[in-house]
Amino acid sequence: MLDALFEGLLLILHWKAFAFMLLGVGLGFWVGLLPGLGGGTTLALMLPFTYTMSPAEAFAFLLGMHSVVATTGDITSVLFGVPGEGTTAATVLDGYAMAKKGEAGRALGAALMSSLVGAVVGALALALAIPVVRPLVLTFGSPELFMLAMVGIAFIVSLSGEGRGGLRRGFLAGGLGLLCAMVGQDPQAGILRYSLGLLYLWDGLDIVPVLVGIFAIPEIIDLAVRGTAIAGDVSYGRLGKGVTEGIKDTFRHFGLTIRCSLIGTFIGIMPGLGGGVAQWLAYGHATQSARDADERKGFGQGDVRGVLGPGAANNSKEGGALIPTVAFGVPGSSSMAILLGGFFLLGLVPGPDMLTKHLPLTLSMVWTIVLANIITVGASLVFINQLAKLTTIRAHLLIPFIVLLVFIGSYTANNSYGDLVAMLVFGALGYAMVAAGWPRAPFILGLVLGKLAENYLYISTTRYGAAWLGRPVVVVLFLLAVLVIAYPFVQARRSRRRAGARCAS
Amino acid sequence: MRQAGRRWTLATLAIPAVVVLAVVPAARAAQPYDGKTITIIVGYKPGGGYDRTARLLARHLPKHIPGKPTIIVQNMPGANSIVAANHVYNLARPDGLTIGTFNRNLPLAQLTRVEGVRFDITKFAWIGSAASESTILTLHSDLPYKTLDDLRKAEKPIVIGTTGPGANTHDFPLLLKELLGFNFKIVSGYSSSADIMLAVERKEVDGRAGSYTSLRPFIDRGLVRPVVRARATEPGIEKLPVDEDLATAPRAKAIMALRSGPEIVGRPYVMPPGTPDALVKIVREAFVRVARDPELVDEATRAKMEIEYVSDVEALKIIREVLGQPRDVVDEFSKYIKFGD
Repeated sequence: MLDALFEGLLLILHWKAFAFMLLGVGLGFWVGLLPGLGGGTTLALMLPFTYTMSPAEAFAFLLGMHSVVATTGDITSVLFGVPGEGTTAATVLDGYAMAKKGEAGRALGAALMSSLVGAVVGALALALAIPVVRPLVLTFGSPELFMLAMVGIAFIVSLSGEGRGGLRRGFLAGGLGLLCAMVGQDPQAGILRYSLGLLYLWDGLDIVPVLVGIFAIPEIIDLAVRGTAIAGDVSYGRLGKGVTEGIKDTFRHFGLTIRCSLIGTFIGIMPGLGGGVAQWLAYGHATQSARDADERKGFGQGDVRGVLGPGAANNSKEGGALIPTVAFGVPGSSSMAILLGGFFLLGLVPGPDMLTKHLPLTLSMVWTIVLANIITVGASLVFINQLAKLTTIRAHLLIPFIVLLVFIGSYTANNSYGDLVAMLVFGALGYAMVAAGWPRAPFILGLVLGKLAENYLYISTTRYGAAWLGRPVVVVLFLLAVLVIAYPFVQARRSRRRAGARCAS
Repeated sequence: MRQAGRRWTLATLAIPAVVVLAVVPAARAAQPYDGKTITIIVGYKPGGGYDRTARLLARHLPKHIPGKPTIIVQNMPGANSIVAANHVYNLARPDGLTIGTFNRNLPLAQLTRVEGVRFDITKFAWIGSAASESTILTLHSDLPYKTLDDLRKAEKPIVIGTTGPGANTHDFPLLLKELLGFNFKIVSGYSSSADIMLAVERKEVDGRAGSYTSLRPFIDRGLVRPVVRARATEPGIEKLPVDEDLATAPRAKAIMALRSGPEIVGRPYVMPPGTPDALVKIVREAFVRVARDPELVDEATRAKMEIEYVSDVEALKIIREVLGQPRDVVDEFSKYIKFGD
């Protein structure tokens, strides 16, 4: 194993492979920054260029590109409130809120550093998981995946506002999200649901225009109304100083960063959950780290932990997602499906062989993820201060640019005007929700998990009847879901008792 | 003097003009694609089989078209590629610069009168098909079933995982169950055929159907073994029993034929209706040549893809056959099969 690890490193440090990785990183950097232009599409476009490369070079190039997309995607999310990638939307909630407080530098520092930690943890997990990966993935059948989706939905409790009204709103928003996930042709009877007679809705709502609309539009309106810069009237001098602070934050909340990285890796390993889920579970978990009600309220208003969680998870999931692709030939996401095409082109058959005979190559992928992220984060840190200054540009100069990003970002999802309409409709919904004080995260959680929950529930019951409810992992996950739901209440009681004790003394 | 001068000027102007007029069209006609850009519109997102085939062709076609045009691929996903077909049929200009490729089952959408179809599939300027897709059913190698009779008489239902109605993973085993009495339990809703494969591996389901291309790596690995195939075939699976041959009732045969017919036109390529014949002919000839191009063949083999040109005449013949089915067969067909992915 150690030999293979070293051999893998040598493969990637070969000058040619390394040069290709740098090229990939350079490309991925921009792909991540630009909303809409996703990692998957770019992989498909770049695949033909790998025909003449050796496997190590090809994967250095492709993975180098792919693994930094989520890292730089966070930058756009923080700076403009526009999700740079579908997988970096959760960073918007607190990242952009920090930018508005004039802490863009700190948020960016935190996002980048947690991305790096996440990538390293994910890669490490990938390397360590190799011996147990097959049994681990095979334990998670449809019933387990359904319960996992339920754990995700349980996080709505943590993502909702305080008090009874808050929970009601959270669950209603989540329910609306679930409902929106039902749009399109259903996979059991093939019936069109809520498609309103529009061809665009046949395949269901595309997540990218919805995310861009629901998060970016309210912020653009807010910015236009305020008329100031994003960071209000914070002076230049204060902005840049935050970067080191953000990096320190990552280590101040190191436990949380690591835990969120592990969540990301785990979600990545599970094929069939998709890339969008990890960030939200991590965000949900981050909100649990609030010690009392006041701290909970801080989430969504610019708490750095809300940046660290998703920042770490959306990078660590890449290492995890490689596992089913490499070990089973079963891609965990659309990007991985394209990468799988790359395997075939290079004459490699994904499967058990990749963990034995081709282990050094598999481990060179691990190294690529780590090195690509170190390089990207290093490069970003150099000019991050300049980037943070973008938040001091006055609104009327910045808004046209952001609007352009929003429209292009939505349109690239399907190259359809329907994308723009969907973005505007959900933008209006997002604005209404913000104005009325409804949380948006539960809605997204419902939307992301709805289809998975429905399909896995259907498969579980048709395949196993009611017997699936007794499967051990299902029971464990069910208890976990209960715990997630109960946690805020336990916490509230504990903080009340603590407050009581303080009064008494 | 002045008049003569003018006449002379006119003549000098006229001669080159005549020459130019005579020569230019001739030169143009020889190289209509000189310096042009052809767009291939794909009815799906990047990454799938239709997209990969289109991108492969886009790389190798130019050298077979006089004038070496640039060829780009544009993805226009939506409604299982009805959106793309509607676009190519109604909006794209018939100037020879647009090629469309979409879901092979669109003739079935037209036949079963799916809402949203705004085209007559026979009226496209057909190039042909770039490949045929053979659907097969595979079962986990550990299962004891030896003969097809075993599948009928299996004590407990054999669980087949599928992605959902309209996909060949679903429709093919569904007809085997409904029309041939195989003891199957169809479990649909997996997000991709790869996910079903994993379910086979963890024995949540016993088997899956799909295109031979996508199943071959798993057959080679020994995870599953092929059992039955549909009409379209490929080297390596010719000897498998064919579903239509197993049916005794003519109605059942017709329904199965209706499902599998479009698979021979597995990767349809068309141009907008009204595209000048001369241009369509150039592109057709390029397709014939590109399918034999050693560079393309090498690349396709490595990518585990099969490129085999099916001519426009043959493609249209099959599609007309599909569309010409009597109403009662179509009605019964629609009972089982929904148009989809």
